[in-house]
Amino acid sequence: MTHTNDHTPITVPDGAPGYYEVMETAMRELLAEKGLIQPAEIRRQIEVLDSRGPQLGAKVVARAWSDPGFRERLLANGRAACEELGISFYDDTGLIVLENTEQVHNLIVCTLCSCYPRPVLGLPPDWYKQKPYRARAVKEPRSVLGEFGTIISPDVEVRVSDSTSQLRYLVLPLRPVGTEDWSDDELASLVTRDAMIGVCTIEAQERKVQ
Amino acid sequence: MTPSEELVRHLPNDIGGLPADRIDCMDHELLPWEKRCHALADVLDYHKILNTEEKRRGVEALGSEMIGRLSYYERWIVAFANILFQKQILTPEELALKMDEVAARHAREAEA
Repeated sequence: MTHTNDHTPITVPDGAPGYYEVMETAMRELLAEKGLIQPAEIRRQIEVLDSRGPQLGAKVVARAWSDPGFRERLLANGRAACEELGISFYDDTGLIVLENTEQVHNLIVCTLCSCYPRPVLGLPPDWYKQKPYRARAVKEPRSVLGEFGTIISPDVEVRVSDSTSQLRYLVLPLRPVGTEDWSDDELASLVTRDAMIGVCTIEAQERKVQ
Repeated sequence: MTPSEELVRHLPNDIGGLPADRIDCMDHELLPWEKRCHALADVLDYHKILNTEEKRRGVEALGSEMIGRLSYYERWIVAFANILFQKQILTPEELALKMDEVAARHAREAEA
């Protein structure tokens, strides 16, 4: 089986909308005419999608680093702890937060499709949805990590978690050394999307110049 | 394992563990219609018309050739059409006529 399109860049047509865009518009208008959806609901959902991104996950991670009680609640019930910070779950999914330690590095994937912790990270990057990552992450995670420039020491276990439509994962990265006196906002600025997927780690930091 | 057995054991979406190319760390900003398509899926889910699992199976049912040749949101919108036909929420004829109407409207707007 081939997935040849996985690497084809999506080109923006200059001029008339293409076949699939016309299909999307026609379907949406028909469903609205039948009263099954409201046009305002689509606009509102686009705003919801636009409001979600890795900055929310970064806030969760920073809080977990600075507040041991929150970290415990987050690991016990990811969704409830995120909701505690005002991050709503619009897609009716559960969230398990996987904590990286000196012994274990976590990596998340969705082998079947593209399930992703959207309420806290926004929409997944293209590579997360494409065949090479989905196929290889569960089989040869260290080679995959190497392609992101991430080398995990051989004495650290690499654990891969495969998401489902009902249950999503988020990686809680190791807090970098040198950040002991940092504020939550400063900590959050270090946390990247890729670190919360687990394809990279967060580097040790130089102590700030006051 | 013979090639036909491989088809039975792995449906088109079930690619975990298969050999594949190097990871190309590309990403793109969603086109406006792609974002609308995503929002449509979420709204249909809110209304219990189409859930994530149905969406995934709908994409799988497109078969490996279409999965390989269509882009991510192209696969979604075609899968949604098939699912809505199966659920008798839309008919193929209705959708075809509406698509003609939308295309004609765009053509008129382009001329204006």
